[in-house]
Amino acid sequence: MTANTGRTVSKFVQFNVSDSGDTLRSIPVDSINDVGLTYEEMDVTALQDAIKNVLPGHPSCVINITGPVDTSVVAAAGTLSGSHTVLSGIVGGYTPLSLDVKIGIRQAWDGEPQFGITASATSGFLCTEYKVNPQTSKYSAKFVVMGGTAPAWGVAAET
Amino acid sequence: MAGRTVLKHTRVYVDGYDMSAYSKEVGELNWIFATEEQAALSDGIKNVLPGHAAISPGAINGFLDNTATVGLHAVLSGGTGNRTVMIPIGDRAAPAEGDPVFAGQFEQLDYKAAVGGVYVNASLTLGNWSGQAASLGYDKPWGTLLHELSAETAANTANSGLSSDKETSSTKGGFLVYQITAAAGSGDYLATISVDDSADNSSWLALANATTGELNCSTVKHGVVALAKTATVRRYLRWQISLNTATSVTFALAFIRPE
Repeated sequence: MTANTGRTVSKFVQFNVSDSGDTLRSIPVDSINDVGLTYEEMDVTALQDAIKNVLPGHPSCVINITGPVDTSVVAAAGTLSGSHTVLSGIVGGYTPLSLDVKIGIRQAWDGEPQFGITASATSGFLCTEYKVNPQTSKYSAKFVVMGGTAPAWGVAAET
Repeated sequence: MAGRTVLKHTRVYVDGYDMSAYSKEVGELNWIFATEEQAALSDGIKNVLPGHAAISPGAINGFLDNTATVGLHAVLSGGTGNRTVMIPIGDRAAPAEGDPVFAGQFEQLDYKAAVGGVYVNASLTLGNWSGQAASLGYDKPWGTLLHELSAETAANTANSGLSSDKETSSTKGGFLVYQITAAAGSGDYLATISVDDSADNSSWLALANATTGELNCSTVKHGVVALAKTATVRRYLRWQISLNTATSVTFALAFIRPE
């Protein structure tokens, strides 16, 4: 395949995150909200300016996902691993995680937009929440950035 | 035309790209003056005076579209930057000369993809007026579209009839905002976009300093050109173009005029 361009739909999105053994896994999700960076707005207005004006400060990034609870064994990235299997092993940990949200454009992802980071010893994501709702058999999880390297949009898979 | 209109006639131009085909919503288009209620001992009521204006186009919500070079994702997924923005609002038709336009230079604060519905959507927030903007001297975002986004191949000799709301000349300056999305010609496609003014909608002169200067239009161009705050601007305005090696330039032009 070659990379497509244009619009797409959610069924071609893949969510990947490191498991407790630092291997990237694909897990089932049914929503991913607010994928991207948000820059703080720093007011640099002088009294003599006619208009309030700003410059961007540090970016921040929080990723929340939800999906079905799945206890399947892990598999190579690209094939779904159990969400519970992966997330229950990384929540609360201090080891930076790689994270890769791949957005396939009307096909399985192939060099199309992706957002994430390949973890280093000091930078990556941490999973700070993993919650299961027994009534719906769904989970929710939260990922925050650790360290000083920002995740970014690109077209090359994280590792 | 004048009167009421609906969303589908709004267009969004950012940094020389027409984002209208990728956008679904824009706004709110904010123009808010800071106020602080105070009262002297002898005042009968707490009262305010306006302080700095805060101006922002708000959010652009659209499709995540990675069409090379021009798609929303291709242009704006960097998530930050000083963006030249024009949002013309057509009156029950695509925007045309004389229609209102919200324009300026604003800091992009984010770019986010939302997954969960059927489509993969993308949104971005445009914050307040940029500290890197060409001018911090004006506190008004609404102006007049002098030229709708379309191609021109010759200088403008028509009377526009685009009059100041107050139907008189002013000495309060103003600023022009331009977006050049395409061009044709030879070499660097050199051309100059500018503004003419007139007292009578018949005899036209170049409005002093209201010019982009000669631009290489082989790539998209955009920007704000601010006049001195006391510059004289006569009652009527129109677009103008001077073609050098460019034979055709596709552009949108707005002028924001303090009243």
